[in-house]
Amino acid sequence: MANTTLFPSTQWFQALAQRMDQDEAGYRELGPLECTMVVQVEAPTGTELYEVGFEGFKARSVRKLASVAEAAPEHFVLEASLDTWREMIENTRANAGPDLTHTLNYLTFPDEPMRVTGPDQLEVDAFYRYNQSLQRFFNGAADVPTAFAP
Amino acid sequence: MSKYPPGKYTPAVEVGLDRMRDMAKGNFDLKWMHANSAGWGHQVTPGPTGLRMRDIETGYYGQVPEHGSTHGSMAPRGCEVPPGTRSLPMYTMNEMSEVWAENAGLLYDEAVVRQWNSITDVPWDKLQKLPDDIERAVCQMCTGLTEVEFVAGDMPAKWLCRINHDFHEVKLFLASQIFDEARHLDVFRKRALANGGGLMMASPGQEELLATILEAPDYTTASALMHIFGEGFVLTLFRQGEFLAPTEVEKAIFRLCMQDEARHVAYGVKHLKYFLERNPDRAEQVHKILDLGEQAIFTLTLEPQTSEPRAILAGGGLANIELGAQRMAFIYAKQVKEYLRRLEIAGLDREPRLTIPKEIPYEDLAA
Repeated sequence: MANTTLFPSTQWFQALAQRMDQDEAGYRELGPLECTMVVQVEAPTGTELYEVGFEGFKARSVRKLASVAEAAPEHFVLEASLDTWREMIENTRANAGPDLTHTLNYLTFPDEPMRVTGPDQLEVDAFYRYNQSLQRFFNGAADVPTAFAP
Repeated sequence: MSKYPPGKYTPAVEVGLDRMRDMAKGNFDLKWMHANSAGWGHQVTPGPTGLRMRDIETGYYGQVPEHGSTHGSMAPRGCEVPPGTRSLPMYTMNEMSEVWAENAGLLYDEAVVRQWNSITDVPWDKLQKLPDDIERAVCQMCTGLTEVEFVAGDMPAKWLCRINHDFHEVKLFLASQIFDEARHLDVFRKRALANGGGLMMASPGQEELLATILEAPDYTTASALMHIFGEGFVLTLFRQGEFLAPTEVEKAIFRLCMQDEARHVAYGVKHLKYFLERNPDRAEQVHKILDLGEQAIFTLTLEPQTSEPRAILAGGGLANIELGAQRMAFIYAKQVKEYLRRLEIAGLDREPRLTIPKEIPYEDLAA
């Protein structure tokens, strides 16, 4: 499909990071964030991991990881199947933002279909502490035409 | 004839008038211009998001004394305190380990830039007429949260005025928490009243827990009970509130409150860690207050006005309250698990001492 970005991929998260740059005023209203998020995608072809480091009002780094052990020591992990990520992204694109049942908190709260984990509870708590900003980051998917890995 | 003849005013005013007479003759003191030479010439580099506390509290000014200053005044840490400055006997918490957390300054910075308000940051225009049972459930949930929220303002307020001014990072953080809690009280009350419903039933179970927090014998045990235990449980309830939210309005409210609550929990965990590293013999006192808290919260969790509205929301209506209760049974286990993990970070192995079940076997009990 023309003009689409593959999910999951470094390019896809960089596209969200670019939208974050363009939306600095919006992020400033929410407040800065300092955390590292690892996105884990369970695809039929295997597990893929992407790390996004946030500082202030920017995603300062995006990289693909071979394993969670490569992540910054302080991080939390958002884990879900490719189908779940796909549904969340498509819902966000269809509604210009997630509906009531596709927010990050909604999807992670019962530990299914998405889970948030971390090396310790305070790292998991960072996901709660910066939730508005993280939600806004993924809301950026509304503007990223996305293709999905088979 | 002078308008200010000697002897007309009190001695204190006379001293001031003498000083003015001197200044009128060009005699200025200017000693203050040479005060605190060790603290002069401080170099600061703002961070990427602005001038944060950690950017200024460096070097000379970043030295936090293990034992707070004995002058007992409000003089800021790092300034020169002239002899004769009045001591205020109210500052009785003078040990750093009694209050400190390494993240206090960072959390204060975060709190002040992540402020929000219930007037313009909640999309009240998206409120919708809800079915009667759903609106009643939302209003009862908000009544309970309005009741519980301000203990987390009253508790820090009770201790704040006793903390030595050398620990201003902690004082500022606690001040931000008091305002966070004010906002929570405000927004939950507002939601209860905003959609044709109103406040419903108070919770005697909550009052037990709140009393235990307010009556704790010292700040650290109060903090362990409130910041880690109580606010940790409430943080999960806020996450649940977002999960169950029937409209964008409740969704926004709970998401905003969740962030604030997570900051308070983060302070509590780091404070207890700092405290126990220096006072390991006090762990038993913390255990004892948690014993009380656990008993109170178990009663509270199962109190009808706390549990039933959430079951109605989870089931999608009163007709499905049993289904909702089953769906939400995992919440309690999640609360206990996260509570134990936070205490583990603080250095307190609570699991062998836990006085309540780790999960509620809802289906077994129903059978």
